Formats: sequence, C-alpha cells, structure tokens
Amino acid sequence: MLRNNSDSWGTPAKLFHWVMALLIFAQIALGLVAVSWRLSPTKLDLYVWHKSTGMLILTLLALRLLWRLSNRVPQLPPEMAAWERLGAHLSHFLLYALMIALPATGWVISSASNVPFKIFWTIPLPPITPPDKAVADLFATIHGWLVTLLALVLAAHVGAALRHHYVKRDAVLSRMLPWRTS
Amino acid sequence: MKQILFLLALCALALPALAADWKMDPGGSKLEFIATFEKNPAPGVFKEFDARLRFDPDKPAGGSLDVTIKVTSADMNIPDVNKEIRNKDWFDYAGFPQAEFHSTDLRRVEGNRYVARGTLSLKGAKRPVEVPFTWTAVGDGAAIEGELTLKRGDFGIGLGEWKATDTIGADVKVKFRVKLKKG
Repeated sequence: MLRNNSDSWGTPAKLFHWVMALLIFAQIALGLVAVSWRLSPTKLDLYVWHKSTGMLILTLLALRLLWRLSNRVPQLPPEMAAWERLGAHLSHFLLYALMIALPATGWVISSASNVPFKIFWTIPLPPITPPDKAVADLFATIHGWLVTLLALVLAAHVGAALRHHYVKRDAVLSRMLPWRTS
Repeated sequence: MKQILFLLALCALALPALAADWKMDPGGSKLEFIATFEKNPAPGVFKEFDARLRFDPDKPAGGSLDVTIKVTSADMNIPDVNKEIRNKDWFDYAGFPQAEFHSTDLRRVEGNRYVARGTLSLKGAKRPVEVPFTWTAVGDGAAIEGELTLKRGDFGIGLGEWKATDTIGADVKVKFRVKLKKG
C-alpha cells in the first residue's frame, strides 16, 4: 500500500517515520557525544557527522511534509477524549516544528561560529548568518533547550503509542508498524 | 688622489648593478596561510610580519630577502581556533614566537617571475624552501606577490593525534603580497 487511507499509513509514510526515528535518536546521541568529547580530530569528525545528519533530517522532513500534505491522514480512534486528541495534535505539531527548529538553529550555530562545513565532506553548506560569537553562543543555548523539549515530547509520543497499544488496545501503534499491512 | 679617482670610477661603474634596498610598507602587505579543515579551506593571516629585500630586478643574483614573522599574530577568524593554535601542538607561541625566512639566492625564472631559495625557520625547524614571486614596479615603489605550499608536518605544526592529516590536511598554502618602498 503506497498511499495512506483513513485507517492506516502507506509504506512511504511508515518509511519516513521509522527511518527518521532512527536518525533522530542517532542524532541526539551524536550531538551529546560531540559536545562532551575532548578537542581532538575525533571531536571534529563527530561534529561533521552530527551536522550532516541534521541536514539529512531536514531534507527528509521536507519530503515527508510534502508527502503528508498530499495524502489523507488516518483518523484517530473515535473513542478518544478531547484532551487526548488535543495532546496528539499538539505533540505531532511540536515534533514537526522541532524537526525544523533543531537543524535550523544548528545551521545558525555553525554559520555564526564561522566554521567551514561540507555535508558528509562533500556538499558545501553556505552560512545563513554572519560570523558572530555572541549569536553562536545564544543559539547553542537555544539548541540545547530545544533538544531537551524534543526529549520530553518524544517520551510523551512513545508513551502515548504504548498506551494506545497495551492499555487502550487500539490500532494507533500497530498501523504504523512496518510489518503490518492492514 | 689617483687611487681615490680610481675608486670613484669603480663605484660609478658598479652603481647600475647595485641592488636597491627595499622596505616593506605594512599597509599594503598581507601574509596569508590557508590550511584545510574537514576538506574545507581554513584561511588565516599573520597580522604582523616584516620583509626586507635587496634586489635588482635586472640582476637578481647578489640580492637577498629577509622576512620575520610574528607567529603570535596569527588570526584564523574563529575564536576557538585562535585559542587552540597557540598551544604546543600547533604554533607553540610561548616556545617559538617568531619565524624567519632568509634567502641570498635570488634568481629570475622568466620575465617578472623570480624565485628566492632560502631557509625557513618555523617552530624550531629549519627547512630549505623555495619562494616564487612576481615583481611589479609601482611608481617609485614595487610589489612582490607569490604563493607556495608547505607541509605542516615538516615543521611539527600539529603534533600527537593532530599529525593525522584526514581532519586537518597536510598541505598549507602560503600567499603573500608585499608592498615595497625604497629605504
């Protein structure tokens, strides 16, 4: 099944979800390891991996949003309460917003630090802000808060998915699983 | 008297071949070095340096070029990098604040292109280096310009784990433009 329908997600939507889920967890780990590593060639390489993965996530997100907007979105189970619906929509909105805001603020840090960067050592990424240490420091702080927020929203997202599956016993999680075709 | 006349005549004969002494005009001069960082150019400058040249463009032999570089004036435009390059692994500001290049072997390659063969002393290492340059007369002054590529490893720039050249490349391009006035 390629396209989404009112009951379930199509293969492209599932692929976007799980590939990006994997990339985002790897990305958080890479970022944490990169900042805490002592200055060495390894640290510089970790930053190239982290920045490159960020740009990959941003690119995938653009395609994913196009796909989502050109598809219907499966309905939430009708028995869900209003606050549950609100929570679902709010957390999904936040996840999309953070998938844009984190790479964007990272791009600003990289630009303002005046560090030249090629995505995966190949494609040069142009700076989006002029060199400015104060701006770099400010955005590094914002980037840190945003990733904290992301961790909280991810915890809610995973927790809610498990609650749907094991407590409410509906199809919200199973219809996103890659091996289910229903 | 005869001897003095003879000496004067000798001087007059020798005069056209006497190389002029040239001093650097810091305002119009620039000394850049371009390292590579994760396959990107990472440019820097030495803000303070001085060049003295004894040179006759028509007869470069017998001339000399002396350059002193205040290594501690290096600026790579990134605060974190500037903080790092002062350390022992890199330029070692404390141990080797100054670099020098001396040449007494100046030759014409072709037209206005010349080469100065000499010794570069940098971070305690002395290496033979060829500095190619072009000579351009500007009014009653002149300008020399050129570029060359050095291996940072030859001078111990980047020690320990920084010796590996996949993150910070082995080659460093050096570019200079020196404005000269007679002096």
